Amino acid sequence: MSAVIKRDWPHIDEVNAGDKPSGREWEEQGETPVLETALRVLPATLAGPVARLPQAVRETLEEIRIRQDRPLEVVYGGRYGFLAADGKLSVSPFSAYRPTRGDCRQLIDLISNHSLYAMEEQLRRGFITVAGGHRVGIAGRVVLERGTVRHMRDIAGFNMRIAREVRGVADRILPLIWDEDLSSVRHTLVVSPPGAGKTTLVRDMARALSYGRDEGPFQRPALKVGIVDERSELAACVEGVPSFDVGPRTDVYDGVPKAEGMMMMIRAMSPDVIVVDEIGREEDAASIHEAVLSGIRVVATAHGRDWRDVAGKPVLKELIAAGAFSRIVVLERSRRVSGGITVLDGSGRPLVGRPAPAAAGRSP
Amino acid sequence: MIKLLGAMMIMAAGAMLGFGQARRLRERPAELRRLVMMLQQLETEIEYGCTPLPEALGKFARPDRQALSEMMAGIASLLRRGGGVTVEEAWRLSVDEYWPCTSMNREDREIFVQLGTVLGTSDREDQLKHLRLTAALLKEREAEAAEERRKYEKMWKSLGLLGGALIVVILY
Repeated sequence: MSAVIKRDWPHIDEVNAGDKPSGREWEEQGETPVLETALRVLPATLAGPVARLPQAVRETLEEIRIRQDRPLEVVYGGRYGFLAADGKLSVSPFSAYRPTRGDCRQLIDLISNHSLYAMEEQLRRGFITVAGGHRVGIAGRVVLERGTVRHMRDIAGFNMRIAREVRGVADRILPLIWDEDLSSVRHTLVVSPPGAGKTTLVRDMARALSYGRDEGPFQRPALKVGIVDERSELAACVEGVPSFDVGPRTDVYDGVPKAEGMMMMIRAMSPDVIVVDEIGREEDAASIHEAVLSGIRVVATAHGRDWRDVAGKPVLKELIAAGAFSRIVVLERSRRVSGGITVLDGSGRPLVGRPAPAAAGRSP
Repeated sequence: MIKLLGAMMIMAAGAMLGFGQARRLRERPAELRRLVMMLQQLETEIEYGCTPLPEALGKFARPDRQALSEMMAGIASLLRRGGGVTVEEAWRLSVDEYWPCTSMNREDREIFVQLGTVLGTSDREDQLKHLRLTAALLKEREAEAAEERRKYEKMWKSLGLLGGALIVVILY
C-alpha cells in the first residue's frame, strides 16, 4: 500500500528538502502577495506550517483544508498532502498537525473580520470571501428556520481556496470570438469540467474586454462590462470592491442570483457585455434571451466535459438550439500541463485556427 | 514646629485618602452608566447596521480621551492591526490597560471581560442576547454602586479627615 503511494509521491521527499524555521516569519520575509493575503487570516499555528512549505508547493497551492481535530491538509498542483507543524508534507495523516478547537475559533474570528454576526448571508451561502479574493468554504452544523438555512454554528471545517489570477489567457481566444462587424465580442459559452479554469478565463476576458487595446495587433475599443457574480468568484468582492483587476469599465453585482442580476444589469447599468458564471437553470435562459434581445453580448460559463455533454443538458440545449451562442469555448481538463482550448461555432463545428495551447489557470 | 508640620501632613493625607475613596464611589455609578450606554450603542450597530466589530468599536474613539472611550478604541485598533489577534485577546489586553484608570471594581471588570469572550463569534440574535445580558448585569451593578455612594460617600469624606485627626491626637 505504502509502496504504491510512495511511487506516486516522489516529490514529497524533494519537497521536504528545503524547509525553513519557525514562527510568523513570512510577515518579514515578504511572502508572495497571493499567499500573504491568505496567511493573514490564518491563526499563527496554521500560518506557520503553510509559510514553511517549500517554494514549489507554495507557488502551486490550491487549497488549505482545515478540519477541527483532524489532520491539516493542503492541495497543490493537483496533489494533496498532510502538513505537520514544522511544515513537512506527508501522505500519511498520522504525523500531521491537528487544528484545535481554539485554532478554529480563531480562524472564524479572523475570516469574519471579528464579526460573525455580519456574515449571515455568507454563512447561508456556505462561504466567506476574504481580502485577496480567497474563498473560505465553511462546514458546520446548519441551523434551519422554516426549512431554509438560516445560519451555521459549531463551524469545524474550512476549505480555503487560494485565488490566483492568470493574466493574458483571454488574449489567445479573443480574436476567435471577436465580431469585427459590430466591433464587439460574440455571444460566447465557455465549457469545462470544474477546476480547468473557466472562471479564471472569463475573468481575464472581462478584464481584456474592459481595457480594450489601442496599440499593437488586434486593436479594439474598450467595452462596458457587467459582471453578475453570484458566487463572488469572478470579481471576489470584499465590501463591494473587486479583489481582482476586472478592468476599468467593469461594474459588478456581488452575490446576486444570476437571473435577477442579469436583468438588473440590463436595466440599470447599460453594459455592452454581460459576464456570468455557471449558467444552467431555467430562469437563467430567460435572462440570457432578454440580454440578447437588448443587444447586449453575453459571455457565460457552464459545467460540462465537451460540446456533446453541454448540448445534451436541458436548459443549455435550448439556448444552443435557439442560436443564443455563436461561439463555444471548450477547456480540456488538465492539471499541471498546458490545457487545450478548442473554440467551436454555435453549431459545434470547430473553427479553423485552433489557438495555441494555453496554460489554463486554476480558478479560485 | 516640626511636630505641627507633621500633624498637618497626617491630616492632609487622611483627608486625601477619604476624598479619593469618595471620588471613586462617586465616579463608579457614572462610569457604569456610560459603559451600559456604550453597550447599547454597540447593540444598535450590530442589530441595524451589521457593522463589523472593529468599525463599530472604533466609533467610540473620542477626542476627550476618557479611559472608557480609549479602552473601546484600543480594542478596535488592536483588531485592525491584524496579526492574528482575536476579539477575546484584544478585549483582554485593552481592558487590562485601561481598567485601572477607572473607578470600577474587579467584579464589574469580570462581567465586562466575559462579554469579550463571546463577541463576534455567533449570529446576530445571540450577540444581542449577550450584549443585553451584560448591560442588564452592569445596570444592576450601577444601582448597587449608586446605593453605596449614597451610603458611604459622605462617610469617607469625614472619615478621612477625622481619621487623620485621630492619629494626630494619639501621636501628639
